[in-house]
Amino acid sequence: MLVISRRPGESILIGENIEVQVLETGPSRVKLGITAPRTVPVLRNEVRLTQDQNRAAAQGIALDRLAPALSRLRPHWPVTTPPAPKITSSSRSCRR
Amino acid sequence: MPQCDTEYFGVVSYEDSEAIEFSAGLPGFENCHRFLPIDEAARRPFIFLQSLEQPGLCFLTLPVLAIEPGYQLKISAEDVAAIGFEKQPSIGSEALCLAIVTMAEAGVPTANLLAPIVVHPGNRRAVQAVRDDAAYGCRYTLVSIAEVAPCS
Repeated sequence: MLVISRRPGESILIGENIEVQVLETGPSRVKLGITAPRTVPVLRNEVRLTQDQNRAAAQGIALDRLAPALSRLRPHWPVTTPPAPKITSSSRSCRR
Repeated sequence: MPQCDTEYFGVVSYEDSEAIEFSAGLPGFENCHRFLPIDEAARRPFIFLQSLEQPGLCFLTLPVLAIEPGYQLKISAEDVAAIGFEKQPSIGSEALCLAIVTMAEAGVPTANLLAPIVVHPGNRRAVQAVRDDAAYGCRYTLVSIAEVAPCS
């Protein structure tokens, strides 16, 4: 990994047309300004992790493994859960 | 009454008012905007989020408080505004907050507490709110490895 020290107001260049500028530094975070072509995606790493995680989650749900997971988890769940807003009506009919 | 094809529930009839809307989609699924929460009594507390645009796309979720009773919601001002809240909502009383569960082929089920799905129950708008801190991980283990040893 290339390590470069910069002060607020200073920047680094990546390739021909990407500039990363240090705007502000604080005790626990750094504010960066990024100038890049629209075609270059700029993402927080957390978003990338979530993209990957969502894609993995979309691969499939093993319904037969739900019940075992549930029975193992249930004892650990809080006895009283705050009332969650009801989000589905009971009028739905499912056909298999 | 509209109907949708689903992979796990066959053809499901629903009311339009039951659908939830992710105006920006979900990370990795930016073109999927409308989902139907399927909350079957027999499978509680699991809630399925079925895409109304792609029959093959269904996420398995759990209420974050069922996983982590002390979960502290922290979503960005943009996300708060996107779903129509005026301030940081609290879980349960104001917002429904779900974590997407990943069931890897042979691995332990995990839940993404880094990026909870936050739903405004009034206007049905939703966002997957990716945190900008490291307070919670994206692969929170739901059961310990020892507990998922094969049953015989």
